Amino acid sequence: MSTDPTVAAEPLSGAQVKVQFTTRHPDISLPENTGPILVPTHLRRYGLSSIINHLIASEKPIPFDFLIAGTFLRTSLDEYLTANGISSESTLTLEYVRSLVPPLYLASF
Amino acid sequence: TIHLEDSIIVSTISPAEARRLWSHYENATHDLSLSLTEQLRLILAPTLATKMRGDFRTGKRLNIKRIIPYIASQYKRDKIWMRRSVPSKRSYQIMLAVDDSKSMGESGSGELAFETLALVSKSLSMLEVGEIAIVGFGSAVRVAHEFDKPFTNEAGARVFEQFSFQQTKTDVQKLIAESINLFREARNKSSGTGAELWQLQLIISDGVCEDHDTIRRLVRQAQEEKIMMVFIIIDALRGSSIMDMSQAKFDVDPAGGMKLKMERYLDGFPFGYYLVVSNVKHLPSVLSAALRQWFAEVVEASG
Ligand SMILES: [Mg+2]
Repeated sequence: MSTDPTVAAEPLSGAQVKVQFTTRHPDISLPENTGPILVPTHLRRYGLSSIINHLIASEKPIPFDFLIAGTFLRTSLDEYLTANGISSESTLTLEYVRSLVPPLYLASF
Repeated sequence: TIHLEDSIIVSTISPAEARRLWSHYENATHDLSLSLTEQLRLILAPTLATKMRGDFRTGKRLNIKRIIPYIASQYKRDKIWMRRSVPSKRSYQIMLAVDDSKSMGESGSGELAFETLALVSKSLSMLEVGEIAIVGFGSAVRVAHEFDKPFTNEAGARVFEQFSFQQTKTDVQKLIAESINLFREARNKSSGTGAELWQLQLIISDGVCEDHDTIRRLVRQAQEEKIMMVFIIIDALRGSSIMDMSQAKFDVDPAGGMKLKMERYLDGFPFGYYLVVSNVKHLPSVLSAALRQWFAEVVEASG
């Protein structure tokens, strides 16, 4: 997988997966009526962070980290699904927390 | 049942189990299918009250618009009469396409899909207006019942055998492309009967699919070939309703950066005709309302 932003920007259509975002922190929780969201599977934590920032309407972008089944997501969703033998027919539950580590690849979705 | 990995060939249900399921769902939806049959009979039967039309030398009623030209032409342009036009005979080919993908099983939509399938196929076969085909789709499209075969209870049970809700993709694009081919073939086979052929596809699915733009183009192509597609979204509500679902898209902005766009999922849904059904009880009325609208539009378009 390349981290070149021009390559990452290519796949605008294509595979999607249904996700349900959750958090344990009330100050960054989503509006109550937020339903499941279909997201492109090429997204990584940066792209996912921008969705959360959009939903909570934060003034300054907050970097988030994402956990699936208790494990930090360090790849794209697509790579996660493949590595764990999960099809994109499933609904993924993504827990998010404020990131403690500054993002390494800001440009990489 | 034994849990099988995705990679292993998908298990289908046994013939005995399929027969049991079919009779279960057929009984459960019996009254509803009588009601749907009645409503469809009113819609699908050719219009009996026909219009007076045409320009003839003899007929039943004078065409007022022709009188002045008639006099002005020294009584030469004498096609001033209208006749009652005979209703054209119509026959139908109706394809039910049922989503066999895994999301159907996971969201609990499978049961509702079986109910819908039993209800609609039974009603259509009681109507005896034409031919019925049933296909399953997911990563692949599989014909579970062909147009030229009679739809009996035995056939219904065999259709159920084909479904397991285990396919690991929901390729609606492939479904539409292959359906257009199936409809073309069926049209060719049935040509020469003299009846006007109407083709209709009812898609039964949880509605979660990707590449909406490509699908929209294919649906338009079908429309140009006079194939009507109605998408019935089975909304089992386990977890959350499709009405509350949204979609995140990333577009490239002029500077080369990514621009996030969030929209309500159904706002970008590629089918012009779709219904959301959360309870099979509502299906007869919603489906017949949609079909009535379609027929009205087609009749209007054909003059
Ligand atoms: Mg699916």
